[in-house]
Amino acid sequence: MSGRFTGRNEVAIVGYAQSPIERHSRLTLGALTIETCLQAIADAGLQPEQIDGFTTGSILPAAGGHGSVDGVDIVTANWVAETLGTHARWLCGFQGYGQLPGSVILATEAILAGSADYVLLHRALSNPRRGYHQNPMTSAAGGAQWVAPQGFWGAPSGIAFSYNEYLQRSDATRDDMADVVVGLRANGAEIPWSYWHGQPITVEDYMSARMIADPVCILDCDIPIDGAAAFVLTSAERAADLPNAPVYVSGFAQGNPTAASLGMAWSLDDVREGSARTAEMLWEHTGLTRDDIDHPQLYDGFSPFIWYWLEALGYCGPGEAAQFLRDDSSKRLDILHSGGALGNGRMHGVPQMLECYLQLSGRAGPRQLDGKRVGLACHSSANFGGVVVYSAERF
Amino acid sequence: MEGDSKPVPVVDAQSEGFWRATAEGRLAVQRCQDCGHFSHPPTTICNACHSVPPSLEFEPVSGRGTIGSWTVMRQAFLPGFAADLPFVLARVKVVEQEDVALIGRLVDGPTAAIELGAAVEVVFESLPGGAAVPAFRLVGARS
Ligand SMILES: [Zn+2]
Repeated sequence: MSGRFTGRNEVAIVGYAQSPIERHSRLTLGALTIETCLQAIADAGLQPEQIDGFTTGSILPAAGGHGSVDGVDIVTANWVAETLGTHARWLCGFQGYGQLPGSVILATEAILAGSADYVLLHRALSNPRRGYHQNPMTSAAGGAQWVAPQGFWGAPSGIAFSYNEYLQRSDATRDDMADVVVGLRANGAEIPWSYWHGQPITVEDYMSARMIADPVCILDCDIPIDGAAAFVLTSAERAADLPNAPVYVSGFAQGNPTAASLGMAWSLDDVREGSARTAEMLWEHTGLTRDDIDHPQLYDGFSPFIWYWLEALGYCGPGEAAQFLRDDSSKRLDILHSGGALGNGRMHGVPQMLECYLQLSGRAGPRQLDGKRVGLACHSSANFGGVVVYSAERF
Repeated sequence: MEGDSKPVPVVDAQSEGFWRATAEGRLAVQRCQDCGHFSHPPTTICNACHSVPPSLEFEPVSGRGTIGSWTVMRQAFLPGFAADLPFVLARVKVVEQEDVALIGRLVDGPTAAIELGAAVEVVFESLPGGAAVPAFRLVGARS
């Protein structure tokens, strides 16, 4: 049995749109999303009635027990299809983490199977007004009973466990992480739609930032925002007749759950074992190696994920990510170029995917880098989320 | 008043044996009677042998473990813990089976010298209504 992708480079991204990323949009999330979807369809050179497939991953924000009213707090694929009023032949939402790779995978497979010709993939994120992880629960039912009565809640607290273990087991320090976050914010400051446009930070800003759950400080966490992005995907054959240079889906991989989880309080070994499997599947699926990737865009919703992905993809050994970045003084990998979630706002994998699309299609404008042909867009942690490889050429 | 008190566990069919034990000052972990595998949080089918019908019972464990990792909480996402800040949460690997971990407060607090692998033992923190939540304390010598 081969894990090789038989649909390699047969499906392409042909258009996109990204809304402004704001703390609170003047629009409802539904209106913002529809505006963005219509822009993406037009960008692809298509009419709304040509879109016959819809997908997204719509989970979160739910951690704080917030409402999940469709079109207000979240936006499902069904809601977009209903609102646009087009005839959908294929409607499928992705459930789980690594929402963006998950929905790219669904869209790709639907197009390969002929279930849809033109798929609109959107991602809509809202910022709850009560605090993203804040939860006034006084009783803890289901999974919450194993963590909340103990005082444990919120993803930043969960990540603190594996991040602290990383620091304890290596020579990496928070000073090393300061360089990562400052780098992401510097790149994000150059991006017009970013919440952090024109707002770079210094190492001093980082080191004096409020601590959340040691060693995680507020600047290790992406800021909750209102924002929407949309992409249009179709077959490589149809893409040839559309106005933009296609960016092909070359392959992908998804993290598999490891042991029963208590929140996101993974052990570092669980992170590493799960991540290694994800990377192994990715290389098998794409038929590529790490050296074929010239624009890896690592996920950073929590800053330690950058280190986890560097290890997972084999750029360095266990515990060596900080050292790797210290040595990479030329920043030859441009891994932070998207600005990431920390430099854009909590767009959940969109910055990495959008960066791959813009660079590989030659549409990055003043941010265009030379010679980028094969990109890789990560989402979530490597043991947990997913990753997609994109290419400017069919190979 | 909503938001000001700590969350109390809602006992369900899977968790009843756990919370009954803690209320009596004992730590019990769900164990497969067919293969001996411990699971926490409790499961509905053994992840190791998948035997059907499942034969899952809560069995007493020693309450001893080692620190897998820890964090010092400085923001209370649960308002009922605001008055306790800063406090330490530890992920404790139980000695009976290394991949069974519990999250609990480390009662020694943020000024204690904590390190990976440090030995701990369970203690119980009482909640209103007779429930008790497992927490941990350092037992000194590193395991
Ligand atoms: Zn069993």
